[in-house]
Amino acid sequence: MKGLLNLKSLGLITATATFISAPIQAETLRLLTWGGYAPKNVISDFKEETGISVKVTKSNNEDMISKLRATRGAGFDLAQPSQDRISSAQADFDIYKPIDLSKINADQIIGSMFEATRKSTMHNGKVYGIPHVWGTSGLIVNRKTAGQVADYTDLCDPKLNGSVSYRLKRPTLIGFAFAMGEDPFAAYEDKAQYQAILNKVEGKLIECKSNVKAYWSGGDALLNLMRSGEVNAAMAWDAGGWKLNKDNKDITFVAPKSGALGWIDTFALPRKSKADSAAYKWINYVMRPEVAAKITEAAGNFTAAKGSDDHVNETLKAQFKESFSQEAIDNIQWYPPVPAGLEEIEGKVLDRVKAAS
Amino acid sequence: MSTDDHSNPLSFDLECHNINKAFGDFIAVDDVSFKIPQGSFFSILGPSGCGKTTLLRMLAGFQHPNSGDIFIKGQSVLHTPPNKRPVNMVFQHLALFPTMTVAENIAYGLKRRGISKTEQQALIKDVLERIDLPDAGNKRIDQLSGGQKQRIAIARCLVLKPDVLLLDEPLGALDLKLREQMKIELKHLQQVFGTTFVYITHDQSEALVMSDQVAIMNNGRFEQVGTPQELYYQPKTPFVASFVGDSNRWQGKVSTASGDLLSLTTENGLKLSGLPASSEPFKENDTVIAYIRPEAISIIPVTENLSTVSAIDNTDDINQCHGRIVNILFDGARSQVLVDTRCGEPMHVSLPQTGHHTSLSKGDNVTLQWNKKQCLCFRPAESNTSPHQNLT
Amino acid sequence: MPPVSTASLSNTSRIGLWLLLAPILLWLSLLIILPHVDMILISLQERISSRNYSFSVSNYTEFFTEPLYWNTFVRTAVMSVIATALTLLIAFPVSYYIAKMLTGRLKTVLFVLCLIPFWVSELVRTYGWMIILRETGLVSTFLQWLGLADQPIEMLYNDAAIMVGLIYTSMLFMVVPLVSTLDSLDNSLIEAGYDLGGNSWNVLKEIVIPHAMPGIVSGCVVVFMLTLGNYLTPALLGGKDSLWFTEQIYTQFITRFNWEQGSAFGMLLLILSSLIVWVGLKLSKQSFSKVMS
Repeated sequence: MKGLLNLKSLGLITATATFISAPIQAETLRLLTWGGYAPKNVISDFKEETGISVKVTKSNNEDMISKLRATRGAGFDLAQPSQDRISSAQADFDIYKPIDLSKINADQIIGSMFEATRKSTMHNGKVYGIPHVWGTSGLIVNRKTAGQVADYTDLCDPKLNGSVSYRLKRPTLIGFAFAMGEDPFAAYEDKAQYQAILNKVEGKLIECKSNVKAYWSGGDALLNLMRSGEVNAAMAWDAGGWKLNKDNKDITFVAPKSGALGWIDTFALPRKSKADSAAYKWINYVMRPEVAAKITEAAGNFTAAKGSDDHVNETLKAQFKESFSQEAIDNIQWYPPVPAGLEEIEGKVLDRVKAAS
Repeated sequence: MSTDDHSNPLSFDLECHNINKAFGDFIAVDDVSFKIPQGSFFSILGPSGCGKTTLLRMLAGFQHPNSGDIFIKGQSVLHTPPNKRPVNMVFQHLALFPTMTVAENIAYGLKRRGISKTEQQALIKDVLERIDLPDAGNKRIDQLSGGQKQRIAIARCLVLKPDVLLLDEPLGALDLKLREQMKIELKHLQQVFGTTFVYITHDQSEALVMSDQVAIMNNGRFEQVGTPQELYYQPKTPFVASFVGDSNRWQGKVSTASGDLLSLTTENGLKLSGLPASSEPFKENDTVIAYIRPEAISIIPVTENLSTVSAIDNTDDINQCHGRIVNILFDGARSQVLVDTRCGEPMHVSLPQTGHHTSLSKGDNVTLQWNKKQCLCFRPAESNTSPHQNLT
Repeated sequence: MPPVSTASLSNTSRIGLWLLLAPILLWLSLLIILPHVDMILISLQERISSRNYSFSVSNYTEFFTEPLYWNTFVRTAVMSVIATALTLLIAFPVSYYIAKMLTGRLKTVLFVLCLIPFWVSELVRTYGWMIILRETGLVSTFLQWLGLADQPIEMLYNDAAIMVGLIYTSMLFMVVPLVSTLDSLDNSLIEAGYDLGGNSWNVLKEIVIPHAMPGIVSGCVVVFMLTLGNYLTPALLGGKDSLWFTEQIYTQFITRFNWEQGSAFGMLLLILSSLIVWVGLKLSKQSFSKVMS
């Protein structure tokens, strides 16, 4: 990019910020992550063991990329984007640096996930991501009032008029595409075909619009809508469903027939990170089975740490079993890396859905 | 003035019957009644806080009397809102609309009457000529001088041909020279337009110079209504005597109360005679207050050093006493000397600038003389406090 | 001390002047001018492929050729104008009451009451409205309790809810300039208006409003800009059809990573909103410097 002025002004601001924060930076890990991925008890235990304090900034996929893009990869020492959002962001904006796999204690990590992530986060022959937390998105259903909902397209059931919610984001497009019998992941590399699939989805979503009470944007807002009974079925993350299930047995997460969408959040190093050794220490620390279990408790999702399931409480395990049969687990559609340019196409579809009435 | 005014000189433009107004415990206007003949200049004169502004606001309709009635041209306006009353008001700070030009200010009232545009133009032109500002129409208010604003404010009201024009101390904000000039101009305007003016002020000179009739107001009541001359020469209450013009004031006891004149002795032992001004006859030993104006006293220089201590009556009509000049208060035409009469009653005496008294100086002995009939004697009022204008 | 020549004195005073100006110049250039220049530069680029951009005005033509963006802007502008007008309509009587009808303590109390909602953040205020308006919220429950409704009523997620939120958020910025201009209106001018034969409408139209015009216009400019640039309220209270231009900019920057398009939208918002304000000032015959003083 040619934004030379931008570079200068941002550099100045960053320099000032660094200067201000310098005195407390004895050894600090600035972590850009999701809510629940760095619980307080883990942070304090980590500090006790290593003397490194962790400063957490809560974020999401898009926000992480935007933040790192704005500073060209500075300001944080460790980020946790989803595995499918790494290689394209790296190609476009050069915001990460490769991971030195020799510094990772790979024995702690489930081999298949480690391997899958290694492949999907590869850019120019280098690895950019290590798996951390995984989960799915699918349906949260109030079985009493919307028991019939078994797949994404069931949200368009006229009986659920005005009591359905989902996000106007790419997972919705992908989920509906699968439920409509398409395979959007297979069409990732063929933009024309992908466009055609999305056009179909767009039609369905516009037709379905009268069923929607509101497009949710924050997880807490959705949980409130479900809890108050204003919404009976929604498209959301598994952990949210299980959280609601604790208070209300009628509500739970349902893996859709066409397959829950599986994601893996990773560890990735921002290009201008300043505390690499602290970052590797943190990765190796949180992937210990007993520590990983604590994170599962806080985040509601399982980790890629070997043997951590043994430390996880029975409720969550039971909830997981109820939502996922072995068949459903096999049926999970794992996000492949998103090629650059797809967001553009998806964005316009989402705009048109929102504008339609 | 229209012929109508001449044919029926006794018709009243404004009548007030027993107006009362109280704010909580405070009585602002206390049972006031008066009538104002058509085409006259009527002033209400009183110290600040006497209730004159409240009275004026009731006439305009901004406040409602607790009891009593107000008639304009014989019609009660008690239930007429301000915008429907045939009266207009010139406010203390004039209240010209700063967002409008002079012409628009004058047109404001005309528009409300539904007068056509062309007629408005003609009326505005006419009224601006009559107040001698024919070219001011397009000026903004802040481009006008103080005196011009004054005239525009009056024109804005008079163009509506009100039955009564109310003026709330409009000269208060002007400097002294301009105020003197505007007094004459206002009187002139009133005569030209022939409108009844009700003018309130605390400045006696404004009231005396311009008015046909003046009401002296104190503590919510009218003390006396009369021509300026009546108020000056024949005040009916001690308040009026002291408020209108300057006076020397003494308190004393009646020694003889026979005939037209009273003989009295002041608290400090000065003996003098005066004309009783109250209707009730005085008896011996009654408490009495005597007023004599500084300008009614003649001053006679004494060359020898007299040793006489107190005043001596030597002729029938003249009060006389001796004293020494304590101070000369030079103020041009209003110059006075302060004389110690040796019996403890200091006196203010006017110093006529006729050239006869230029040789007087501090410490000189003088003889003071005045006509007994010009010394007015009152019974002390029970509640009325003397206004601050009192000299002694 | 050695005598100081006039030349060196003027030199020191000139340095002093520059030192005094330095913070404001730095502030202006670093935080206002530079980012905007940068935004213009970014907005004039087009992505060819990864890390490869070229000069282009396509981001601007996109705005005018894609009806969605254009419609979103028009909708945002129209809603903002309506919100501004409604805010004025509600704030004017309130301000008049505070400035002209009340005196002393009560006046201060009422004025502070208008201020109190602004001691919490906009987010909290907006959530407050969500609690009140939602299907299981206060109003709905109250109406059912009264028997006026037999089932829960959804009052959230529509344009009316956005309007309520925007007006509530903007009230203060209208009330403050209005109270201060109305406060400066001499009561005798109002009385003179009646005395010369005007009724309440005449007095309002010919005297009060012309006097309050600078306050009205400055309030309207501020409220309009705030409303047009608001992101939170339309996003949280708005329904599934509610499009807001700032949301579009946010989406371009954050979820599409399309900074080029987002910058172009940002510039267009700046230019078009300035244009609307300029037209508003011309129509009300006010000058910007007079209104903002």
